[in-house]
Amino acid sequence: MADLRINLAGIKSPNPFWLASAPPTNSGYQVQRAFEAGWGGAVWKTLGDPILNTSSRFAAISFNGQRVAGFNNIELITDRPLDVNLKEIYETKKKFPNHAIVASLMVEPKQEKWHEIVKRVEDVGVDGLELNFGCPHGMAERGMGSASGQVPALVEKQTLWVKEVAKTPVIVKLTPNITDITATAEAACNGGADAISMINTINSLMGVDLDTWNTIPHVAGKGAHGGYCGPAVKPIALNMVAECARHSQINVPISGIGGISNWRDAVEFMLMGATGVQICTAAMHHGFRIVEDMIEGLNHYLDGKGIAAVSDIIGKSVPKYSDWGNLDLNYNIVAKINTDVCINCNKCYIACEDTSHQCIEMLSDASGKNYLRVWEEDCVGCNLCAIVCPVDGAIEMIEVPNEMPPMTWNERQAVINAVITSKVDTTK
Amino acid sequence: MTEHQQFLAERDKIDFFIQKGFRIQSVNEHLDGATVEFVHPNGDVTEVLLISNANARKYFSSLLIKQNPIGK
Ligand SMILES: Cc1cc2nc3c(=O)[nH]c(=O)nc-3n(C[C@H](O)[C@H](O)[C@H](O)COP(=O)(O)O)c2cc1C
Ligand code: SF4
Ligand code: SF4
Repeated sequence: MADLRINLAGIKSPNPFWLASAPPTNSGYQVQRAFEAGWGGAVWKTLGDPILNTSSRFAAISFNGQRVAGFNNIELITDRPLDVNLKEIYETKKKFPNHAIVASLMVEPKQEKWHEIVKRVEDVGVDGLELNFGCPHGMAERGMGSASGQVPALVEKQTLWVKEVAKTPVIVKLTPNITDITATAEAACNGGADAISMINTINSLMGVDLDTWNTIPHVAGKGAHGGYCGPAVKPIALNMVAECARHSQINVPISGIGGISNWRDAVEFMLMGATGVQICTAAMHHGFRIVEDMIEGLNHYLDGKGIAAVSDIIGKSVPKYSDWGNLDLNYNIVAKINTDVCINCNKCYIACEDTSHQCIEMLSDASGKNYLRVWEEDCVGCNLCAIVCPVDGAIEMIEVPNEMPPMTWNERQAVINAVITSKVDTTK
Repeated sequence: MTEHQQFLAERDKIDFFIQKGFRIQSVNEHLDGATVEFVHPNGDVTEVLLISNANARKYFSSLLIKQNPIGK
């Protein structure tokens, strides 16, 4: 069994699976049940001046039978008074001293407000703080959440204010509702953040009811944008984690969040630089017990690879993530159709013929049976046929040797610019 | 003509000059592809090709890197 413990900027937990700040961490009752089920840590539902919520708060997209492919909410931070939450945090920490309890915080962008809440929360023994600069609705209209999280100067200033008084590690939770998340991540680092976490939810409108013309969800016939999360956002979150992980000025640990539904997703985030992960939608969809499969799956994976500790995989894929200009233009793959496995549905043929490079040919053998073949010379290796093929193993993408050495776009442009400016020495 | 045939045709034209000892003297990229100017080592003969096929444009740039390695 591998060592699953993590240490995120000094916050220790028995495994990398934390519940994200959201309904699953609303109360002591819930967080204690989660710890009993096996979760390594919990970021408490965001604390601040207690708010008022609407009725009808969530909506989800089901896709081809997969329920909750994407999830949307218009819920705000906690609606319970701070002293009630603090009492429950204190009791929970006493019962589970080795589990991580992080308090998520959101107050107005005023120094005294941040000082007050940090002191009160740290007094009950939390292991760390997470500053919620990400909530995209309701709080943002009051100058909090993503409204301040979208302005690097405000991120830096508020982080500084918290660091003036905080005794525990400070995680800054970033909003994805920004063009370049590394700008706010860097601002958090400049403010002294001990770690960053991402992503919070993405601005979204889930749908419009075709009969009533109401928004989905609606509150008495009116709607407002919500925050999108769940499996659909994973690629967006993973890219943001990776962009921060490979950024030279961002050198703090990352807590990865967004669409993580199983141990595989968690491993991907960790390989791309996350020290641990946080999960909300998957727990809301399936309950706390999904963590059992996550722990078991992660253990098997690490054992299978002969890796002794989960912390050994952190960031291992980061050097493989670069800019497009550094990719090898002379690397080639082509599609190969395995006729033994193919069920002749022709989806690949139609995809390539209609929307790619017209290089799958329909042929028939001696007995009149149809089969498909790829013209390798014209195949650009786009992957589309393999993506649309419903049968595992029917299409393989194979590497073709290239007699030309590797050449990136950046190398190509450098040499072309050199001949344009200097005219190459032709006597060499 | 398929894309691949177009590639082979343009590659052959490039190879024709390279085999005769020509070197790539200049490249001008534009909306129709790239105009590649070849010069003979004697310096007295230049030839010009319009290379439009994507793989052929990769090809001449690979040759250019071979001919004039930058920073290597
Ligand atoms: C109903 C709901 C309420 C949420 N409330 C909070 C919150 O109070 N504070 C916070 O930082 N994030 C909140 N989030 C965002 C989650 O913590 C998390 O960042 C996001 O859902 C992405 O993770 P997931 O794809 O695993 O759900 C909420 C998410 C949902 C679905
Ligand atoms: S990889 Fe792309 S170009 Fe090649 S056969 Fe498949 S769809 Fe066509
Ligand atoms: S999509 Fe897959 S199964 Fe269908 S014809 Fe193509 S290779 Fe065969």
